[in-house]
Amino acid sequence: MKSLDPRLNRVDIYKYQQELKPKASMDQFETYEVFVRAKDGKAMQHEGIVHGPNKEMAFLFAKEQFSRRGACVDLWVALTSDLMVSPISDNEENIYDLVQLEVDDGGTTEAYEVFHLYKRGKHHQYQGSLQAKGFHDAYQNASEVFNDGKPVLNVWVIKKADLLCSTDEDRVIWSTLSEKTFRDAIAYKALDKIKKFKEEQGTGNKL
Amino acid sequence: MYGGGNTFEKLKTKSVKDEDPEKLAEFEARIARGEKIEPSDWMPDLYKRQLIRMIEQHAHSEIIGALPEGTWVTRAPGFKRKLALMAKVQDEVGHGQLLYSAAETLGKSREDMIDDLISGKSKYSNIFNYPAFTWADSCFISWLVDAGAIVNQLANSKGSYGPYCRALDRICIEESFHLKYGHHCVIHMATGTPKQRQMMQEAIDRWWPPMMHFFGPSDKISAHTEILMKWKVKMASNDECRNQFLDMYVPKIWELGLTIPDPNLKKNEETRKWEYTEPDWDEFKRVINGDGPCNKERLAVRAMAEERGRWVRKALLNPKSKYVTPLA
Amino acid sequence: MNELAIKELLFKMADDQLILGHRNSEWNGLGPILEEDIAFCSMAQDKIGQSLAFYSILHEMGESDPDKVAFTRNAGQFHNCHLVELPIGEYDFSLIRHFLFDTAEYLRFQSLTNSSFTPIAEVAAKIKGEIQYHVLHANTWIKQLGTGTDESIQRMQKSLNMAFPYALGIFEESQYEGDLLSENIFEGEHILRERWIEEVDRVVGQTELILPDLAAEEAHLGGRIGEHTKHLQPLLDEMSEVINIDPNAEW
Repeated sequence: MKSLDPRLNRVDIYKYQQELKPKASMDQFETYEVFVRAKDGKAMQHEGIVHGPNKEMAFLFAKEQFSRRGACVDLWVALTSDLMVSPISDNEENIYDLVQLEVDDGGTTEAYEVFHLYKRGKHHQYQGSLQAKGFHDAYQNASEVFNDGKPVLNVWVIKKADLLCSTDEDRVIWSTLSEKTFRDAIAYKALDKIKKFKEEQGTGNKL
Repeated sequence: MYGGGNTFEKLKTKSVKDEDPEKLAEFEARIARGEKIEPSDWMPDLYKRQLIRMIEQHAHSEIIGALPEGTWVTRAPGFKRKLALMAKVQDEVGHGQLLYSAAETLGKSREDMIDDLISGKSKYSNIFNYPAFTWADSCFISWLVDAGAIVNQLANSKGSYGPYCRALDRICIEESFHLKYGHHCVIHMATGTPKQRQMMQEAIDRWWPPMMHFFGPSDKISAHTEILMKWKVKMASNDECRNQFLDMYVPKIWELGLTIPDPNLKKNEETRKWEYTEPDWDEFKRVINGDGPCNKERLAVRAMAEERGRWVRKALLNPKSKYVTPLA
Repeated sequence: MNELAIKELLFKMADDQLILGHRNSEWNGLGPILEEDIAFCSMAQDKIGQSLAFYSILHEMGESDPDKVAFTRNAGQFHNCHLVELPIGEYDFSLIRHFLFDTAEYLRFQSLTNSSFTPIAEVAAKIKGEIQYHVLHANTWIKQLGTGTDESIQRMQKSLNMAFPYALGIFEESQYEGDLLSENIFEGEHILRERWIEEVDRVVGQTELILPDLAAEEAHLGGRIGEHTKHLQPLLDEMSEVINIDPNAEW
């Protein structure tokens, strides 16, 4: 059976249906949370996930899925299971006030990165880095360092070591982004054409 | 790109009346306040299941939707069209990814969703079961099918589930060029050579009936969806969306001197609603259940992509990896 | 400056990019992993955009506009190497081709940022970032699949063996190599090839793959002077199918 798509006529697309084996459950890659900073001065923001076999691949995928439009200066990826998540409060309620976490003394001090959600439906935003001895410690520290009274609904914490971050040298990969105008609505103006057409129709021969 | 026409059938699921009344009240109050539901919130079974189904169908529609236009990717006329069509088809795959991700936050794995697509268990927008015979067909799809999808997306972006809304926001931003590109193509065809005009007119004649099916069965014969409206899962009725589409785009088609193959199509100036020949809902049912011109091919192509890629995924898979539900 | 030499250089680079970008776009929507499908398509768009940049320079130098030049020439008038016109095959072949070709592109453009012919130097500097990502992508994949399963290693090796002699055809020398070198327009295919072999060897060395023996391989030449495989004309026919309905129409 011939396809209208010439690419499909070069492959036997139907043979694969016969070969279909049931997939092993969970025959798929883990997910990585992706964070993007559009411009210097703007917050680092959670954008979504990619599936990937490891961090390096996740980075490659994230770059195309979340920064092929607009602008980008920094990109981070983190394995979903490396992020610790606080409970979520209602709009206007500060989770730091509602939830205190028990800190146990032990563990090595290292850098933790903190993200806040300020409103349901919005994106988690990067607050900054702090030193802590564990996730609970990081959360409690964050409630002092990053809690400026504005209600925080939800907190994500991750060890800095678990994040794969783009470097300053990497920024060049986004340098031609603004020139891909074929991806912008603004490159498709045709009002003149319609106008000209209407004029021609208007003055066309009427029998 | 997405079509309505979701038939919200009864699912085997915990009935709403069996849910914890206090939690349910809190849940509904949150929605009534206009706040979004996030993945870690309590939600009734029915809400969860219907959302998964809806978002999943939307995702499948994007992935399958990449195929009719993909037909013309290697034949796009000129650099501008070539680059734009590649970017557009790429976006469709990207939107599928975003939507699968949103559905995953509700607990269904992407693997399961793709399996359900290929097996025929899950549905996708019916319009993609039709063939894109010529370049003009791809122009129609890029403009008017996208326009239809955007009507749906804008409505749904005001829905209650956070991850779905965030995905739709991103999709709407990326789609803004799709619509303009599609319209640009159709304008060039319609105002071009006689051969181009004819090709475009024939494409409209072919695609109009499926386009009228796009928003789903008429409200008169659709399943009852009051609770889904209350929970802001379904945001507008099929007829409302269809009417909005006609209102926005029929004048734009007519202003190009193109005709629409429905002699009854006109706007009732009193009711401000569009009147049209009632679409053939039996045909719609037939096609969406597998008996359309391209159903077999569309699914075969997805099966092929999966199977052909199996060795790649296998080579990358780390046996120690453990998939968990994504966060947002 | 030797204008003919420059034009020939531009044509071969643009033709390589256009044909490979076109081939890679055949994976659009059909890739093995959604995220990879998206990434591969971006790179194909980059290639086509790069070819457009070079055809535009040619247009400024008196050649026809890019659409005409790209969509109305026949196979005998194209100057791409054979490697890029080959069918996409399975994903292993496409990745190997991506790796071999883009490594050469990266080195080529690194060199051309110093070209005495400013228009080329400017484009080369501008697209540096794009190619950097392409090479990062290619290297990551080669390393993953070149060390993954027995099956992936076998497939990649087979494709590497098949593609290597074609890849050598990238460096087919021009009759103007002397002028390009003496006028500082381009360091030339000879030295590019040497750098390429070194770099490809370095990356392949990090995998279980074995680079074919240079001494035993014969490069597939002829592409640069319009002698092509049976694959190019059908590709061009397909690419220009719609535009040929009416080459003077506005699409």
